[in-house]
Amino acid sequence: MKFRSEGLGFLLPVLAFVGLFALLPVTILFANAVLQQGGAAGFVSVFSAPHNVRSLQNSLEQGGLSAAFAVALGYPAGVFLGRYSFPGRSLLRSLILVPFLLPSLVVVFGVLDLFGPSGVISSALPATGWFGSGIPAIVAANLFFNVPIVLLLTATGCEGASVELEETVATLGGSPFQAYREVWARPTWVGAAAGGLLTFLFSALSFAPPLLLCGASARCYTLEAQVYSLDQTFLEPNAAAVLALGMVLLLLVPTAIYLALVSRLRANPGRRSGGLRPVNWHVPATWALGLETAFVLGAEAALLGAVLYRTVAPSGGFGAGAAWTALFSSSTTAHLGVSAVGALGNTLFFAIVAALLALLLSVASGYAVVRRPGRAVTLGLLLFVPLLLSPVVLAFALASFWRPFIGAGSNVWVLVIVSQSILALPFALQSLEIPLAGLSASARDTARTLGASSWGAFLDADLPRVRDGLVTVGLFAFAFGLGEFTATNFLVPPPLTTLPVALYALSEVRLAPVADAAAGLLLLLSLAVFAVIAVGGRRVEL
Amino acid sequence: MSNSNPLLEVRGLSAAWDGVPVLRDIQFEIREGEVFVLLGPNGSGKTTLLRCLAGLETPTAGTVLLDGVDITARPPHQRGVVLMFQDPALFPHRTVYENIAYAPLLRHRPLREVQEEVGRLIELLHLTGFEDRRPNQLSGGELQRVALARTLAARPRLVLLDEPFASIDVELKGELRAEFRHVLRASGTSAIHVTHDREEGLFLGDRVGLLFDGRLQPPGPPSAVFGRPGTVRAARFLGYNVLAGSAGSVGVLPADLHLLPPGSAGLAATVLVAGPVGRENEVVLRTEDGQRLEMRTPASEPCPEAGRRVSLGWERSVDLDAE
Repeated sequence: MKFRSEGLGFLLPVLAFVGLFALLPVTILFANAVLQQGGAAGFVSVFSAPHNVRSLQNSLEQGGLSAAFAVALGYPAGVFLGRYSFPGRSLLRSLILVPFLLPSLVVVFGVLDLFGPSGVISSALPATGWFGSGIPAIVAANLFFNVPIVLLLTATGCEGASVELEETVATLGGSPFQAYREVWARPTWVGAAAGGLLTFLFSALSFAPPLLLCGASARCYTLEAQVYSLDQTFLEPNAAAVLALGMVLLLLVPTAIYLALVSRLRANPGRRSGGLRPVNWHVPATWALGLETAFVLGAEAALLGAVLYRTVAPSGGFGAGAAWTALFSSSTTAHLGVSAVGALGNTLFFAIVAALLALLLSVASGYAVVRRPGRAVTLGLLLFVPLLLSPVVLAFALASFWRPFIGAGSNVWVLVIVSQSILALPFALQSLEIPLAGLSASARDTARTLGASSWGAFLDADLPRVRDGLVTVGLFAFAFGLGEFTATNFLVPPPLTTLPVALYALSEVRLAPVADAAAGLLLLLSLAVFAVIAVGGRRVEL
Repeated sequence: MSNSNPLLEVRGLSAAWDGVPVLRDIQFEIREGEVFVLLGPNGSGKTTLLRCLAGLETPTAGTVLLDGVDITARPPHQRGVVLMFQDPALFPHRTVYENIAYAPLLRHRPLREVQEEVGRLIELLHLTGFEDRRPNQLSGGELQRVALARTLAARPRLVLLDEPFASIDVELKGELRAEFRHVLRASGTSAIHVTHDREEGLFLGDRVGLLFDGRLQPPGPPSAVFGRPGTVRAARFLGYNVLAGSAGSVGVLPADLHLLPPGSAGLAATVLVAGPVGRENEVVLRTEDGQRLEMRTPASEPCPEAGRRVSLGWERSVDLDAE
């Protein structure tokens, strides 16, 4: 009985937080908008407006194409990473998530730096300029974020396949293909399918790529971009909210399937990485997998390299020094409403506080689940709501609900922090699940019987076991906050501008060299965080 | 296949992990229908040897011949040798029936023949009524029975059993051991059984080979191996007390040691700890030159108290070599 109340003490504040800052504002926003638009008829009219229909088609097209290509590119590399041991594998496993957490605008810049009008590759091979704009460019940007997701989830599935079972199949007379079919096709495809669904969700709701890679027109807008546009440009908040509701309903099923697949992946009893085998280069299939992995990693590295290259050799013939000077100049400050240093300060402040908050929330909820596993299902549904809510919908709802209480001025920082922490929460929870599952009730009980208080037992028995996990989750949430653009852009007034928002503002007015410098700064910050994660040999889970 | 020819010949087999030798120049043979037990402590190389025979590891030297054919370089699925792990490793998504039928169906045997064979194995291993259950609905002993049935259904030339009873309760272990012995002999299956449990090894094997630090001692029938351990290391592993003297070492079984009347000439020792274990007293002693001994006395006799100085005698002993 004591367990029950103890667990509840951890759980209630988390549920109250998610309720007050996500569920309640979103519910009220949707209910209000549906009523204002005239109920079901209004719903139908919003969804039959040509530009909204097109955004729905765009979402499905961009989501579908990105998911299909991400699975095609990520699956073989995931199998290679999940199956073979090779020097640097562990470091690679940590670093592979870097692209996923990079600021979306940096990635958009990377695509342009490679394939845009004066791109590094398109200048040498003009035919590749096809990837520099429109749907191909958007899909390329989406792939950069999402191939690592498919790769990692496939690798997780592969690591979960039972080595003993595979060897049993072999000694029973099954060929390597039969061993694949019988033992590890299933977990790897569960992982790849989960990755594909997550890719679909992220790509169908992508914001920055369609905004910046499709010229000035709205012809590539996804539902997410269209919701933003209806509210901010066309000042139709009710239509925007109704469209957002439709978007949430549309994504309900893929999100639920994704969560089911991930829990199946995690439940795999053989989950361990001790079963890795050395790379056998005598087998042709290994070569194929290895080369494909090298291609994927090379493409990811090329994009990052292009962004870094542009920071020292900005586009338009600017000298590197001139671009950096311009970034910190008074004219840039006048344009942004905040200095670059101020934007950097804002970015760090929001990211640090949001990371601490996300850490606190995920630890409390994770600990409550560990103490009473029966809660996992309910919690899963509640805490993964942010996965379903796109950044625009969350920011839109937060602004509508909370601005009457806190105003639209400098107090908005609270909403920025809340939005960043809620958006990071599902991933923080996923990453904490494994270290928390490793907590030993017997170690805690032993500490208690040796004379430790409840708090002392937590410090001596539990905390050392999850310390690494906590650091990883904190860093992950921090990196997430550094790059968060969509919700922050929706919420902040100029004095609270962050670097990603500044980057967007600079790119909008074609200040490309200055934006290049800002993108480089943001990229270096994110890479520094991941260097800390990777050097510690830590791993982030999806 | 003539019975005079060995089924399996292992010649000069060596293996290493990261340059560290694990198996050194292993030589032995197995005849058709024989159950050969590899007995040795943890880390002695038993599992590595099985994995080399199954084709799951590549030896650094030596050859493996099955029916006179060199299979050293053959992949596992083309060897006709089935390895059964300590973890039964059943297919979790298949029923008991489907697990057992896996290998025959893989070889495209006629369905009727498969049904008959699976039915026979289900009966032989007392699995009737479990056909439609999945592995997560079975106990540890049942899982092992299904794993053995699945192995036998593959009709292997040789079965390799890697400590299949290691995670089974003591109570069930004896029963399962007897059942495996019966089934292997009834089906005429040739097998190599690996274990660190000397009782199990001596009970199951037609012949037993002791493996220490990757070296195999000359195999022999269980009674011969147990009765003449040969080396100090083997004697200690088989439960002998080892008494080292100027003329060499001898091994004495705990049951063969007895207390001499006070004042008799014998081996002087001090009782360290003593207490009843069922029908016997277990007594741990230390000789004057520091050697530790164990002995058993009938519980009907008084149990010597700790600290008492005693004189020991024995009826039987075996001479031991240092290595």
